[in-house]
Amino acid sequence: MKRGILTAAAGVAASALLLSACTPPGGGGNEGDGGGGGEVSVMWNQPFYSMNNNTSATNNVTNANVVYMMNDAFKYYDENLELQDNTSFGTVEQVSEDPLKVKYTYSDNAKWSDGTPVDAADLVLAWAARSGNFNTTEDAKRDDEGAVEDAGGDVFFDAAEPGLALIKDFPEISEDGKEITFEYSKPYADWEVNLTVGDSGMPAHIVAKNAIDTEDPEEAKKAVLDAIESKDKGQLAKIAEFWNTGFNMTSMPENEDLLVGSGPMKMTDFSEGQYLTLEARDDYEGDRKPKMSKITIRYNEDPMAAVQALENGEVQLINPQSTADVLQAVEGIDGVENKTADGATYEHVDLTFDNNGPFDPASYGGDEEKAKQVREAFLMSIPRGKIVNDIVKPLNDQAEIRESFTQVPGSPDYDKVVEASGIKNTYGEGNVEEAKKMLEEAGVDEAPKVRLLYAKGNARREQEFQLIKEAADQAGFEVIDNASETWSEELGSGEYDASLFGWQSTSTAVTESDANFRTGGQNNFGGFSNDEVDKLYDELQTETDPARQAEILGEVEKVLVDEGFGITLFQFPEIVAHSDQLQNVKPMTVSPTMFWNFWEWEM
Amino acid sequence: MIKYLIRRFLSAALVMLVVTFLMYVLIDLAIDPLEDLRTSTSPNAAQLMENRIRNLQLDVPSPIRYFWWLTGVGGCLIGQCDLGSSWLTGQAVTSMLQGAILNSVKLVFVATFVSIILGVTVGLVSAIRQYTGFDYAITFITFLLYSLPVFWVAVLLKQYGAIEFNNFLRDPEVNWLALVVISLIAGAFWMGAMGGSGRRRYINLAAGTIVTFALLAFLFGSNWLLQPGIGLIGVTVTSLAAAVLVTHLSTGLHNKRAFYAALTTAVLGGVFYYAMQWFFYFVPANWFIILGLFVVAILVGVGVGFAFGGPDKGASARTAAIVAIIASLLVFVDRNMQVWSNYSNLAQIRGRPIATIGASSPGLQGDFWIQTVDSFTHLLLPSIALVLISFATYTRYSRGSMLEVMNQDYIRTARAKGLTERTVIMRHALRNALLPLASIVPVDIITLIGGAVLTETIFGWAGMGRMFVDSLGKADIDPVMAYILITGILAVVANIVADFVYAILDPRIRVNA
Repeated sequence: MKRGILTAAAGVAASALLLSACTPPGGGGNEGDGGGGGEVSVMWNQPFYSMNNNTSATNNVTNANVVYMMNDAFKYYDENLELQDNTSFGTVEQVSEDPLKVKYTYSDNAKWSDGTPVDAADLVLAWAARSGNFNTTEDAKRDDEGAVEDAGGDVFFDAAEPGLALIKDFPEISEDGKEITFEYSKPYADWEVNLTVGDSGMPAHIVAKNAIDTEDPEEAKKAVLDAIESKDKGQLAKIAEFWNTGFNMTSMPENEDLLVGSGPMKMTDFSEGQYLTLEARDDYEGDRKPKMSKITIRYNEDPMAAVQALENGEVQLINPQSTADVLQAVEGIDGVENKTADGATYEHVDLTFDNNGPFDPASYGGDEEKAKQVREAFLMSIPRGKIVNDIVKPLNDQAEIRESFTQVPGSPDYDKVVEASGIKNTYGEGNVEEAKKMLEEAGVDEAPKVRLLYAKGNARREQEFQLIKEAADQAGFEVIDNASETWSEELGSGEYDASLFGWQSTSTAVTESDANFRTGGQNNFGGFSNDEVDKLYDELQTETDPARQAEILGEVEKVLVDEGFGITLFQFPEIVAHSDQLQNVKPMTVSPTMFWNFWEWEM
Repeated sequence: MIKYLIRRFLSAALVMLVVTFLMYVLIDLAIDPLEDLRTSTSPNAAQLMENRIRNLQLDVPSPIRYFWWLTGVGGCLIGQCDLGSSWLTGQAVTSMLQGAILNSVKLVFVATFVSIILGVTVGLVSAIRQYTGFDYAITFITFLLYSLPVFWVAVLLKQYGAIEFNNFLRDPEVNWLALVVISLIAGAFWMGAMGGSGRRRYINLAAGTIVTFALLAFLFGSNWLLQPGIGLIGVTVTSLAAAVLVTHLSTGLHNKRAFYAALTTAVLGGVFYYAMQWFFYFVPANWFIILGLFVVAILVGVGVGFAFGGPDKGASARTAAIVAIIASLLVFVDRNMQVWSNYSNLAQIRGRPIATIGASSPGLQGDFWIQTVDSFTHLLLPSIALVLISFATYTRYSRGSMLEVMNQDYIRTARAKGLTERTVIMRHALRNALLPLASIVPVDIITLIGGAVLTETIFGWAGMGRMFVDSLGKADIDPVMAYILITGILAVVANIVADFVYAILDPRIRVNA
């Protein structure tokens, strides 16, 4: 039997050799489509979900990034947070100050990707939808998840921009539809960012086609304009319904209309929860012509996974949540450039004025002066310098104390406002000895008990709390740990005397801070009330001169510092790391973040 | 029987009602859909908050909202499923589920089967070598693996399995010392698994070490990793070796008819290999063709077994069919290997084939083979991570049940009759030892559709687990409830199925009791 096997084996081997002499043309043949150079992959944490990022449900930076690349707009923010004009798309100018009139002019190059020109119908629809002025009902009927299901014949656009709401009247439109002049019902400080940043509206002809079955683009545009001008409830209800939810998608849509954009990129692939591919349009006529032919955004929220994907060459640009570990990992990779910079969130401590606590004059028999001295002593004791050195510097060695309540460091008015407020001279880096003296001068009998509210389980804030407690206790306070998992719900409850949390800036609009400091403001959780601040904000609302706006904010901040409203700590750093083959990446703090100059990227 | 089934399903439905109700109320207590608005600096935050409260009907108590949700779910019974939709994205939950379930099944399928086969085999061998160094080592290693946190394993796997491995491919420099150490460990493994005493142990150690070293040296030292392939000779020789091994375990080499049937099938495998090269050249492959060919191969194996005839046709057919499976797998793997270097040189891959994230390379255009290789490079690391961890459970189960069976009286009787050790173990012990697994495996397979949250997250697979955790984090209750509904139903059904399988395999158990 042994011999049998051997013979068989020999036979097999011999025939194998014979056969391999004429091996068939196996693999090799149909390899994949190589694709050219100039392709870049970016890692982002949350998947894209709507082409219309102006409803309250879809207003999210992940949508804004893609919409920004697929659409042109009149203006964009650069890395210094200065507004830049995109003249190849159009221009915006103020034609009259009182009443405030703003003229939008589209250039001839402004076209949707299906060839239809961008014009009045698109901008007017954007105003009509986002202002909320055309809503005939506050109570749109929705399914139990929140999507507008059936407005019941009523108009309900799911958006509310207070600035746009000030435009009450139908605009003046030029003959060719390329010039639109809006008149504001009262002056408005931030007119320059109205309808100009991110995108300049959804394509009206597409909305009309899908909402009211008007195939021809010109007719569709006219139908939209007519519906808005005559406030045609029936038509507007259908338009609103489509505008609210029609552009939502979580994978490549079957209806290609939804992907019509006015910008340099078009969407060619979108795999649910995995990735989204944008390719440069050949027929794009604007100035923002990208150097890369393809930008793929891959989705994964794990920061370490992003770092390793960068190291493995699967992506070339990442913006992971920043921790010391992630930073260390990024720095350990060869061929990767790390641009850690300030992010959009800043930390601050606010005091409570109306809870009979240590900072409320009511606790001292209405002695305003004494309460103020206690507040100032407490704020003075907060070791801002040490907090930045110990907690933020390890992540960003360029980190500095944030000195303004309203301005992002690096924004054009930051230095002016900081100087006006005097916060640096008043509090510096924090001084325990000084604080102790101030508390003694205030003449309180026993150590004031300060309940400090912050997020439980947030390691960074826990560290900050430890540093604050240590210093304030030395200065003569008794800081009580009031950490809570539901801290955000407890804001404004008065069950704490000081709170430590972060605000996130979403734009550089000057009126954004209004709600934080005005008496009874939505975000004024500590019961702060000051007539002068309220008056300044009234003035700011209608002030259109940028220089005067900065002055007003400087005056507001001076009051905040003098009255001991609270104190700002630092801008939280964000990691933007990219392969050193990818050129011209410039991080920026507000939406669309590092994508703002995608057309300059080069590889 | 019918009565029993009805009773089981009714009680299952009741369980699901209670579970979903409790979960709905508990989740609703835990999440806060307004969280982002509470810290918003937007001037109209109050209005937005009011809008959202109205949209989500947060002013209605959650038990009432549960029954609204239940009405939509009830629609599934009449073919009108409404599992709600995500309020964040406006997407219907039913459409979210489609992609998620597919990804989870893809990810978990391979890992589950590999860990069952590996785990059970190692567990059995470990039981046969009870209280030897081998047994202790396996016990130690399985517990070690079982206790590893997956997020840590995943990071290590990415670092060494992907990043460093890809670096190695670009600049191959073999660390010979590491190869020697790995070979020695492999040799020790084989020595322990083969058992025996004295001289034979040393021979096994040496043989195991040398064979492993030769194999590794060939793989890493030559150009093989860049241009892998098995080839006609490789396929034929490996199939022949498989024929010997399978016959040995299945019927014993003394069963000449079975042995010859297996050998014939192996040689046919070689012929099949050659034919397939031409076949795939002319016919663009897809999964239906592949599965069809696979079935044909098994039928050929069965046919060869019957052709050799004799009183024991069934055993021969079984043996030959197993060899046919192995041979056709080899042919399939080899065909994929042929496109490896093309794949690796693609612009998207840039010579770094092993991926750390995602289920596929974005924008990859290629034929069936390129796509298959792409799936493989993305599946590799997450599958290893899952196998390393779930492997341990199966090892412990199969070791335990094998030990119990081996101590039964009938095994002693079988030995006393003078049966060979192979017959005692494979025919008498193994079948009964696998019985308890019949009740574990269905539950495992089906609940795995629920996904592997951490693995999916770290490797960037948008599966069920991810959907659940993401939605929970974003206070989006409907996708969370859909997840609970589906995993709950599957778990209940899997238990019923397991009971039935058990009853079929073990005649002592009756279900209509």
